[in-house]
Amino acid sequence: MMLSRHAESLFWLGRHLERAEYSTRMLDVTYHSLLESAAWESERAWRDLLQVLRSESSFDELGRPATSEAVNRFVMVQRSNADSVVACIERARENARSVRELIPTELWQSLNSFYLALHSRDVATDLTEQPYDLYEMVKQRCQTITGVLADTMARDDGWRFVTIGRYLERAQMMCRLLAIRYQNLSDVSFHQWLAALKSASAAEAFRKAYRGSQDPTDVIEFLLLSPVFPRSVFFSLRQAEAELDILGAQFGRITRPQRLLGRIRAGLEFTDIHELLQSDLRLYLVDVEGGIRWVGESVATEYFRNSHEFAPFVPTGPVPTGGRS
Amino acid sequence: MTGGLFAGYDHDGFFDEVFTADGEVRPHYRALVARLGLFSADELARRERLRDAAFRTQGITFTVYGEEEDVERTFPMDLIPRIIPPDEWAEVERGLVQRVDALNRFLDDLYVGEQAIIRDGIVPRWMVLSSDGFERQAAGLAVPHSSRCVVAGIDLVRDADGTYRVLEDNLRNPSGISYVLENRAAMTRVLSLAFTDHRVRSVDHYGAMLLGALRHVAPPAAGDDPTVVVLTPGVYNSAYFEHAFLARQMGVELVEGRDLVVDDHVVSMRTTHGLRRVDVIYRRIDDDFLDPVVFRPDSQLGVPGLMAAARAGTVTIANAAGNGVADDKAIYAFVPEIIRYYLGEDPILASVPTYLLDEPDHRAEVLDRLGDLVVKPVAESGGYGMLIGPAASDAEIEAFRHKLEADPRGYIAQEVVSLSRHPTLIDDHLEGRHVDLRPFVISGEKIEVIPGGLTRVALRRGSLVVNSSQGGGSKDTWVLAPDRDLKRPGDRAEGAELERVEGDDRRETTQMPAVGVDGDQTEHTPGGVQP
Repeated sequence: MMLSRHAESLFWLGRHLERAEYSTRMLDVTYHSLLESAAWESERAWRDLLQVLRSESSFDELGRPATSEAVNRFVMVQRSNADSVVACIERARENARSVRELIPTELWQSLNSFYLALHSRDVATDLTEQPYDLYEMVKQRCQTITGVLADTMARDDGWRFVTIGRYLERAQMMCRLLAIRYQNLSDVSFHQWLAALKSASAAEAFRKAYRGSQDPTDVIEFLLLSPVFPRSVFFSLRQAEAELDILGAQFGRITRPQRLLGRIRAGLEFTDIHELLQSDLRLYLVDVEGGIRWVGESVATEYFRNSHEFAPFVPTGPVPTGGRS
Repeated sequence: MTGGLFAGYDHDGFFDEVFTADGEVRPHYRALVARLGLFSADELARRERLRDAAFRTQGITFTVYGEEEDVERTFPMDLIPRIIPPDEWAEVERGLVQRVDALNRFLDDLYVGEQAIIRDGIVPRWMVLSSDGFERQAAGLAVPHSSRCVVAGIDLVRDADGTYRVLEDNLRNPSGISYVLENRAAMTRVLSLAFTDHRVRSVDHYGAMLLGALRHVAPPAAGDDPTVVVLTPGVYNSAYFEHAFLARQMGVELVEGRDLVVDDHVVSMRTTHGLRRVDVIYRRIDDDFLDPVVFRPDSQLGVPGLMAAARAGTVTIANAAGNGVADDKAIYAFVPEIIRYYLGEDPILASVPTYLLDEPDHRAEVLDRLGDLVVKPVAESGGYGMLIGPAASDAEIEAFRHKLEADPRGYIAQEVVSLSRHPTLIDDHLEGRHVDLRPFVISGEKIEVIPGGLTRVALRRGSLVVNSSQGGGSKDTWVLAPDRDLKRPGDRAEGAELERVEGDDRRETTQMPAVGVDGDQTEHTPGGVQP
């Protein structure tokens, strides 16, 4: 049992952390893989990245071409970008601050010192001169925080909400990444699929699992369906589901987020990549992503807004099943 | 005998906490001075950096509201602690308990009693009724055991003779206790050896003490295990760090107004398991923001229906609503009489000579002597809106003359008190800086004082303003345990209570330009939290 607001803060703490790390990872991989690419390829890669982060329209409002520098700046620090890495860390810290009495001191301190470290740097100069250091710093700090979380936080409801937030965010990001890569499948070189793997820190794990495969189908299968790789969509959803199950068990009933998520997870679990490829995979991915977003909404309705005081959750359209195949 | 850091230190004729007028080290400071004498300036500077880094990473900050952006600052803690010997503290403690006891009775008399003190002509009715802090909405609202000031912060200064004087009472939401505890924690790390020379009384039982008092004032119907929460305006409030700190120290929920809901006069908090009943609210928001039904209708910080629930006796709000009337600076002048009236005792702690402007004779004298006096608005805190006569220009004095003539009830005038000074580390050497002291008094089953309190320091040379928002800093404050504690462990732990120290009222002694300024008490802030 915990305050709804606290649960919500912890949920968003998890989401923001994950988003900051993921955005940085994407920047890192795109930046470094483009150093050897043609200019037109570059523009498209940066646009893809903005799409994955759902930031394309707000970037376009700036009226600038999608150059490496402009996108880096936008994704990292731009004030007008509410989802910039710096903004995510600020919000993660604010959320941590609002639950300070609940979380381990080490967690607060590592987030706070991350925030201070970011603010003591001239991020704009880092980005024009040597972004590598900045990327590394952000990734390492995020991982440190994740480590502190795992090692100091009691496995109580607070932990569950952080975890659900992180894994839902992660699964959504991965769905988008795959959908965007896949829509250009015909003219995407394996080089770019490799970049996708790298942005999920998955290249090494993929090589181990699939030996020397250069087949995009294998990459998609791995990132979407792997039951053992912690960044695959399936794995992430199962983690979130496990925590939702424990929360639901305290009520002695199957809650709505459990039902929604269970359906999506089962859809993935009992599917086959080749079957998927015969249908419209991109549409499938968009559908799964939409379903996950709905799970997030229903978590909010179930736990953050006391449902008996508010209108019951009624989806405005058909409930996504996470698959049309 | 005082080499190293203390070489060249001059008390400039002020009352100095460490040195006597003859330049001798006071006995209770000897060990510290000897210990610090061993440090080089570089060594102290290194320890200061350690302290700063620790405070920043831990986020021990307060927020300064700026015009464009709010800034989070750490509250500077000077490394040289203030030491109070046991007998001196015992008297201060008795004085504080006496004062808060009387103030609790006064408030109870005004809100749920017969207002006997008004009937008997001790405090004028119009003075009470015209106070901003007097809340008609709190009339008839009883507090269990009459503990209206569960937490009181009484600001003390020492004058030119070293006499402790009450500068003002803070009975609404006094803040600063978190710094007392964090300062101590930091000091034990940065200057651990200095502790081994003394027996410093611990302060870390504050959380338990406060929780005990809050549970004590729970409505009787709450049973043996009342649910206590801390109510904060949110993360953007300047004292948010302290609110979270206290909730953590007590192991209770830190809630905002939007977490609470009142239904059928019962207050509950919204949890992931639905609504949970709340019995005691330690609120850190001002009266005006508590309940939009009764107070400011535009407030988003409070809880609609809260006051009605309190009135129904299902929940206790601590500190009680309406306490502001007793820390009104005009009422301050009556506190010695209030003590005599309710307790039949003479006040133990001295006051600062204070003039009320509604009396024609006093007003004429004050207007005549504005350049010698300090003028304060009665309802302000945080050192805002004051006139410090000896430091003011003619134009400023003239401006205040008009203010006073237009609104005599809105201001008081006080004789200037020469605040004591304490050696403070400035760059690489020690200089004397003015200090005050805010002890915290808890009214639970009995009235208790945490040993010491927050010593605030005016860090700017010659400055008398100790407020954190105005460049003030702080010092760890050590109350020493009585010697006999060490020699005869079988003795009562609180041996100090056995001491008989005569109350000493030296209120007539007033000198020299120097004045204490209160700390931040109001805690309202616009806005809430994300996501």
